[in-house]
Amino acid sequence: MTLAPTATPAKPKRRRRRRNLTLTIGIVITVAFIAMAMASFFYLPHNPNLPRIPDRLLPAGSPGYLLGTDALGRDIFSQLMVGARTSLMVGAGGALISLVIGTIAGLSAAAFGRMADETISRGADIMLSIPGMVTALVLAATIGSGALTTILALSAFFTPSFTRVIRSAALSVMQEDFITAARLYDRPTWFILLRHVLPNVAGVMIVQFTLYFAAGILTEAGLSYLGVGVTRPSISWGMMLNEAQQQVGISSPLAMWPGLAIVIVVLGLNLLGDGLRDVLDPKLARRA
Amino acid sequence: MTTPPAIEVKNLTVGYEDLNAVRGVSFTLPAGGRMGLVGESGSGKSMTALALMGLLPAGWEAHGEVLHDGVNLVTETDKALSSRRGRTISMVFQDPMSSLNPVRRVGDQIADVIHRHNKVSRRDAMRQAVDLMVQMNLPRPDQLARSYPHQISGGQKQRIMIAMALACYPQLIIADEPTTALDVTVQKQVLRLLNAATRERNSALLMITHDLPVIAAMCDTVAVMYAGRIVEYGPVQDVFRNPRHHYTRGLLDSQPTMDNIALDGSSRLVSIPGMVPPLQRLPSGCAFNPRCPAATEKCRTEMPELGPNGAACWHPVGAVQVVEA
Amino acid sequence: MSERRPLLAMQQVTQAYSLPRTALFSPPGSFTVLENIDFDVCAGEAVGLVGESGAGKTTLTRILTGMERPQSGHVLFDGTDIWSADQTQRANFRRSVQMVLQNPRSSLDPRMRVGTALLEPMRSLRIEGDHVKRLHEVLDQVGLDRSALERFPHEFSGGQLQRIAIARALMPNPRVLVADEPVSALDVSIQAQVLNLLKDLVRDLNLGLVFIAHDLSVVAYTTSRVSVIASGRIVEVGQPVELFTRPSAPQTKNLVDAVLTVESGLSGTAL
Repeated sequence: MTLAPTATPAKPKRRRRRRNLTLTIGIVITVAFIAMAMASFFYLPHNPNLPRIPDRLLPAGSPGYLLGTDALGRDIFSQLMVGARTSLMVGAGGALISLVIGTIAGLSAAAFGRMADETISRGADIMLSIPGMVTALVLAATIGSGALTTILALSAFFTPSFTRVIRSAALSVMQEDFITAARLYDRPTWFILLRHVLPNVAGVMIVQFTLYFAAGILTEAGLSYLGVGVTRPSISWGMMLNEAQQQVGISSPLAMWPGLAIVIVVLGLNLLGDGLRDVLDPKLARRA
Repeated sequence: MTTPPAIEVKNLTVGYEDLNAVRGVSFTLPAGGRMGLVGESGSGKSMTALALMGLLPAGWEAHGEVLHDGVNLVTETDKALSSRRGRTISMVFQDPMSSLNPVRRVGDQIADVIHRHNKVSRRDAMRQAVDLMVQMNLPRPDQLARSYPHQISGGQKQRIMIAMALACYPQLIIADEPTTALDVTVQKQVLRLLNAATRERNSALLMITHDLPVIAAMCDTVAVMYAGRIVEYGPVQDVFRNPRHHYTRGLLDSQPTMDNIALDGSSRLVSIPGMVPPLQRLPSGCAFNPRCPAATEKCRTEMPELGPNGAACWHPVGAVQVVEA
Repeated sequence: MSERRPLLAMQQVTQAYSLPRTALFSPPGSFTVLENIDFDVCAGEAVGLVGESGAGKTTLTRILTGMERPQSGHVLFDGTDIWSADQTQRANFRRSVQMVLQNPRSSLDPRMRVGTALLEPMRSLRIEGDHVKRLHEVLDQVGLDRSALERFPHEFSGGQLQRIAIARALMPNPRVLVADEPVSALDVSIQAQVLNLLKDLVRDLNLGLVFIAHDLSVVAYTTSRVSVIASGRIVEVGQPVELFTRPSAPQTKNLVDAVLTVESGLSGTAL
């Protein structure tokens, strides 16, 4: 609630442009990130795991090595490309699994009566009460560390939050009169969920997905940094940070590159999520 | 020396980006006067009210002059306006449920208003709050003052809102559909109370509603809004008994009254054909022309201004029709 | 009024909801919402139900349309109890009793084109026939253009949306229409259009109309017989004119007193 002074009427236009700019930057970063990850399957400047001792610790811009090399002479840029692949797989995988399970659970909680709601909601509460890192460490200790373990750990601690968000979005849709109308025609509950509720919570699902995608990348980096994430020959940005940390005294840019990559991608995904939220919110869209 | 008007609005325009919901509205409400602003949804009446209070939603802007208490409210700062709200100008909203803070006792909320604008102690403010509740005919005011909003009925909440609005003897009260959300049987009580309380304090009342009978019962003058403009303006008795604008006429005719009920089941209400045009697609000329029975070529091209007869119409009701089919 | 053959009727319907236990071992309390309600509607007849909010109007509507099963009493459609009816009778009830809800904005799925929304009842009730022809027929009845079918709900005004909602209710060719506050969310000038439309439908299609509202003047205009409900009981039944001029129950008097008109306002007798 602000008073708009009698200034120029250009202000709201600028606001809308800024909203579009958010979305555009988000899309550009996200697409670039995915493209980088995909490209790593077809082309890498160097083998990211092959040490070349004579070329060790080259600075960025050295001939043949765009971002230089690490302590064992491995190409940083190639490692970043393969790391993007890991981030994409783990972040998207974790977010996707939680999206699917969370949506099913959230919709069921909203639609199938009090018993179902209580069971699902309390279940989600219990899962949320276990710290995510503990889940990840236990999983890593029992089935071994790696990308798959990380995805499982991420799904385990994103799913309850997803369930809650979808449940509350679905509950508000369920109160609308068109649900009453559909019930009047004896439509079964699962049909009402698929036909009416799901399309109306799709916007929320998409936005949540991008935000958890980003959170997944961040968490994966954290786990790999701690050494319970992926291990070589797989490469992760978190793992690169961990390795670089031992060389910080000698060559600080080593830690900068993976750090920068994480910051940019996470920021990009968050911008994408915010931008999408504005675009997909029917209330905002209707006013414009 | 004459008392300055409670509020004087000159050529007020309220818009969002390039869409104007209010397009050049002017009226004067004398001190202690009672005016109704009537219109359908999309007429711009609520945006006018919010602009007067400086409570426009983000992105909306007001232009023009709103003179009150010697200042132009449109150019006032947020801070100056907020110190004014509740003191010289206050508002009663449609939904009493969402206008009260659910986690504070209602007595405290009234006392807050008094305490903020007057130099009185917290205890005196509380005492005045209970006095106000007595004046609002609230039962067991001492006990009620200690209740939370969810413990009291909708009608009682709206009375609390009126008490808050009146607490500092404001020069102007803006009431935006104050009874629409209430049960029919308590509407009259609340209107009666608002009527008496504003008269007692000599506060001017600007009543914003879609409900013509409410205006007829409460106000001296009325401005009928359509598509962001005032299309008819004058004393209630004149406008409602002898409407000059075809829109006002249509609104009055579409009221279900006791009289046509007395008729048999085949009675029909007169309705205005068509619908209120969206802001994005206002017709040229008089905005009402596509729905008007008396529209001519002139109405489609030239926009009428408010005339001396109080109506913005080229062919007012009752005038001899120049063009006959 | 000789030989009334009600199409849809409630007989001695009582409904109570159980309240949550106040203590672990206390017996759960119950709250009676409706008590011994008799209510009916014939073909070609418009009946009204008025009462304040909380009087039991919503529950009555839900029971009348078969969405809720009453604790005791019967709901009869065409003489058959709908809760002991067989499959075909039940299906017949479902398609013959349709509803128009209060808020037209919320009664249509925002992500569904109007055409699809109108076909929903036909699909779900598995009604065979030429749906396109029926669509056009119904659109004509409610006075909407065919171009409406391709558009989304947010492109329409409140009055148009209520016409669409009425069209949807008419699709399966119902015999009874239950309208729950169908005009209270609409503007005055649009209210008149919708009220007239409902009146025409009753006459032209020989429909039974149950019109539920809190505003006595609107109900009285539309219907020929009005029941006044208060605290879960029907306190008075009569023709609108009678109720207005000679209300007998105190609750009816309250509702009559609550009606504000322009005339009483102008003459200064309203408040």
